[in-house]
Amino acid sequence: MIALVFVNISLGSVTIPLKNTFTILFGGDTSNTSWTYIIWDSRIPKAFTAILVGSGLSLSGLLMQTLFRNPLAGPFVLGISSGASLGAALLIMGASIFSSIFSFSLFNDVSLAIASSLGSFLVLLAVLSVAAKVKDTMSLLIIGLMFGSITGAVVSVLSYFSSAEKLQQYIYWGFGSLGGLSWSQLALLSLLVGIGIFLSIISIKPLNAFLLGENYAQSLGVELKKSRFIIIMATGLLAGAITAFAGPIAFIGLAVPHLTRQLFNTTDHKILVPAVCIYGGILMLVCDTIAQLPTSASVLPINAITSIIGAPVVIWLLIRKRKMVF
Amino acid sequence: MKHSLLFLLVVFSFSCKLEKKEAAIETHHTSKELLFAKGFTIEKQDSGVTLITLKSPWPGAEKAFTYALVPKEKIREIKLNKKAYDAIVAVPIEKVIVTSTTHVPALESLGVANKLVGFPDTRYISSEETRALVETGKILELGVNGALNTEMVIALQPDLVVGYSLNSENNNYETIQAAQIPVVYNGDWMEESPLGKAEWIKFFAAFFDKEKEADHYFLEVATAYQEAKALAKTATNKPQVISGAIYKDIWYLPGGKSWAAQFISDASANYIYHDNEESGSLSLSWESVLEKGQSADFWISPAQFTSHNAMLENSPHYQQFDAFKKRQVYSFAGTVGSTGGVIYYELAPNRPDVVLKDLIHIFHPELLPNYTPYFFKPLK
Repeated sequence: MIALVFVNISLGSVTIPLKNTFTILFGGDTSNTSWTYIIWDSRIPKAFTAILVGSGLSLSGLLMQTLFRNPLAGPFVLGISSGASLGAALLIMGASIFSSIFSFSLFNDVSLAIASSLGSFLVLLAVLSVAAKVKDTMSLLIIGLMFGSITGAVVSVLSYFSSAEKLQQYIYWGFGSLGGLSWSQLALLSLLVGIGIFLSIISIKPLNAFLLGENYAQSLGVELKKSRFIIIMATGLLAGAITAFAGPIAFIGLAVPHLTRQLFNTTDHKILVPAVCIYGGILMLVCDTIAQLPTSASVLPINAITSIIGAPVVIWLLIRKRKMVF
Repeated sequence: MKHSLLFLLVVFSFSCKLEKKEAAIETHHTSKELLFAKGFTIEKQDSGVTLITLKSPWPGAEKAFTYALVPKEKIREIKLNKKAYDAIVAVPIEKVIVTSTTHVPALESLGVANKLVGFPDTRYISSEETRALVETGKILELGVNGALNTEMVIALQPDLVVGYSLNSENNNYETIQAAQIPVVYNGDWMEESPLGKAEWIKFFAAFFDKEKEADHYFLEVATAYQEAKALAKTATNKPQVISGAIYKDIWYLPGGKSWAAQFISDASANYIYHDNEESGSLSLSWESVLEKGQSADFWISPAQFTSHNAMLENSPHYQQFDAFKKRQVYSFAGTVGSTGGVIYYELAPNRPDVVLKDLIHIFHPELLPNYTPYFFKPLK
């Protein structure tokens, strides 16, 4: 992973010789000040963002798959990502509608992050309140999907009435991006992802019990409601915060837990929780390095890369479903 | 002296064309030559019918579109095969619906703004003359964002709808055509050269019998543009120019062969991506733009920004650029009409001469010392 971080930082559109990269990293000066700026204020935050996004999304995917005992669950299933998208859409495209209430600059990333976190948390709260009433995980899954549909519909109505420029901004956001985070935004994202990881670690035992079915878990002395609450909370934090800062990044959350299970040939969360974090971080760094198209000035949207890698994995999973470690 | 020489040159080339025209009348028809526009041709037949052919109204269009404009008094005697034309229009028309703000200045310059009866999303119309017609209810609101409300269009019974399309999906227009209302596409936005875009006024003129007015108007604009370009050539230096803005870590900016880039080069400045072959827009990693453009002298059109603070709020990276540090950032985004429409989008295709003079004034103030820019203002 550390080696990959180096690779990721040393490669980019602007070719910075490896020697100079090391000089800059160890606080030395190079003749070219813009190189120093690019490394410290652009590439390093981006590499950290990639690790956080990859780890967090993979972990939330793992939590969802275990909780719902459904190999195709992911952070998108609960409607959390759709909630975040709705928040972003309301901010970007609904600004004309709400401009009397708020006055913010459209392009401000912080307000975008706040809006999409709010969106995901609203959906999360709705799901949680339903989870308190509904005993059955499957119903919860359906309800999550319904929330997703509702938010999707609101987004299309907003798109229809918004101006071309705003629609363009929303589409850019939808491409997903690991770049453009300042150090302070990165700190906030790290904190939220950190809490999510902590909540997952304390839930390792109930997670393993959930694999055997809810009734069985209960007989093992797992407090169903409480555990479920903590797990959903962790997922919401992870998926919401990441979607807020990096846009809706596809497939990582769904694909990485499966890849990890196959790799370690285990379903024990003691191993899986740390493993998906590391694996997700690594995969995201790789995707980002590819997306940068080193030495060329063009950049591919990160979502294109994750999907190109993720989609075949999902197809392969569906075909090999009988042989899956789950 | 130089001005009058240039003027004579242009007039001479026009009169040559006129002679050609007269010589051609003995044959079957005459083609009205267009000097810059590549997207359409106009052909006058002996019978009095004018044929307008659109080569490609949207990117990758599979066929050309041909419109027959028939003088009203001859509409009964001239029998045309309806299947051979994409629209048959009786001219001059009295009631028109247009769909893009770029169509509005052309109507005004021809003195036929009062023939406009409806527009989709009138918010975006900024020109005062047409704005007044909207306010007094002479021009009806026909939907949002260019999505025409077909029922209202049909109820208005216009003589013509001038649409535009980004691709071949045009169900709305098909419905209108089914109601016997002719629809023609306008491809001005596909035109790549500044004067080519402006020449589309001749497309509109054919429907109103205003060809003379259009020729005269375009001659003035073209002459002013060529004069300004010649003036810019006398500049002793060629400043470096960057354009566009960052979103997240991607920089969106005009391609090297785009309309926006041509203005920069005609104003005798070096756009840092002038070698690039794209006529649309580019999306590049921001660090590569930093490497190329850190020391550029000017920054033109940083997306929608109108102040330095708003730019910094969006991305601290802007601070790295000399043009930003020296407060040499200019934008048209702050020049808006009374309802918030950006005037540049509406008027610039029609008045490339003004855009060019604005830029010359910015890049080479010594050449146009007493000029006040119309579109481009320095950022706050």
